[in-house]
Amino acid sequence: MFSRRFDMGVKVGGAVIGAVAAVVFLLGYFGVRNDVADVGYRPEQPVPFSHKLHTGTLQIQCQYCHAGVEESAHSPVPTTQTCMNCHTAVRAESPRLQVVRDSYESGQPIEWARIHKVPDYVHFNHSRHIRAQIDCKSCHGPVEEMGVVSQFKPLTMGWCLDCHRNPEKNIIGARPISGVFTGKLHAVKDLLDSTYVFTPIAAQVGVSTPITVPQFGSYETAIPPVTVAGIPHPKKAGIGPENCSACHY
Amino acid sequence: MNARKLPILWILIGLVIAGFTTLVLAGKIAWFSDQPPLEFLSNMDHQFKAIPQSGNTYFSDRASLRNPVAGTVAIGAQPYELGQGDIDAAETANIDPNLPQTEFVLARGQNRFNVFCAACHNYDAKSNSILVQRGQWPGIPDLTREQTAALSNARIFHIISAGQNLMPSYADKISVTDRWAIIRYLRTLQGVEGVASNPPSATTQAQ
Repeated sequence: MFSRRFDMGVKVGGAVIGAVAAVVFLLGYFGVRNDVADVGYRPEQPVPFSHKLHTGTLQIQCQYCHAGVEESAHSPVPTTQTCMNCHTAVRAESPRLQVVRDSYESGQPIEWARIHKVPDYVHFNHSRHIRAQIDCKSCHGPVEEMGVVSQFKPLTMGWCLDCHRNPEKNIIGARPISGVFTGKLHAVKDLLDSTYVFTPIAAQVGVSTPITVPQFGSYETAIPPVTVAGIPHPKKAGIGPENCSACHY
Repeated sequence: MNARKLPILWILIGLVIAGFTTLVLAGKIAWFSDQPPLEFLSNMDHQFKAIPQSGNTYFSDRASLRNPVAGTVAIGAQPYELGQGDIDAAETANIDPNLPQTEFVLARGQNRFNVFCAACHNYDAKSNSILVQRGQWPGIPDLTREQTAALSNARIFHIISAGQNLMPSYADKISVTDRWAIIRYLRTLQGVEGVASNPPSATTQAQ
């Protein structure tokens, strides 16, 4: 009915269209998906700040700069005042810190580039996760090994629920480095041993044990009061809530 | 063209694409990029509302965090009124709440000490931290020495709250209760009991 040439043309044309569609689908789908596209987002910051130096080498704990993460939903990016706590004396003349000094004198905040962001209809609360003794590294990765911080986890809803349902498989229990309060007194000689404080992330995942035996809808023990004598009281991590309004309110 | 080689080539290409897709989906391949992630239909991801520490075009200085109105104090805030030099006033103004010597309080004190003090004063309060070892900040006193151990709790509270010499004030970072818990823990490192406060004259002599 059709000529041989026309038949061949249809086949080749179909194959080309199919291949182009496949490439567009792959690039579009995987390039835009959060779990693929967001991980590794590593924006250039106004100040060449190195977490590897400050927390890896100098062993400054997370909460020194991100103070207030324990009390508020938002983990604060440090104020310029926090930088100048040390940098009035340490490397006070460094040209790399010119932006910080200018900000300190003018009072205009440094415009850090935001890396981790959940959609605006998600109400993630840092303090609740800190109170459940979930280490910063569970979500932010080995920040003390990152010269320039990049996003480590996808921050998708599926990823959140993975952990809310099976925390014992995903959570890294609180480590002394993060400054997450556990209510436990550490031996000073352990703290002075930097390998105790800075275990690499892979080893930590290996040794992290279930914090609690999760039981549906309940915690191992009664939920302790939020504060005791004015001091925030941690609670054991259990399974997280799964109802929609826990995060989308 | 050899008809037999064609399917093998396509199968290989298919396997490569499938393997690549699997690795990407499994999170084994990540691209580092300084460009914001692409968004396909970013429905309500970015709403016009004030998010902490974000830019906001509603205000002329483009900051969503607003400074408190002059002369006001935030609910629950406990500002420290004394300056660095008011040593004598500190002895009477800072009243030790006498936190119980429980492990919970000491653990909190240790936690806050490790977070805010250990960067310079080290985990054992001997002020030989890595920062000091690198010669970045010489002259930080050993907190376990006799001279420091003799200071009253009220005076140490004053130093944490108002700062001393190059050490800045930590009143904005450490809550009042936490500061007393830190002192409780510091006393265990010093191995002394500590006194709540000294009469002003005695403090001046201890200098």
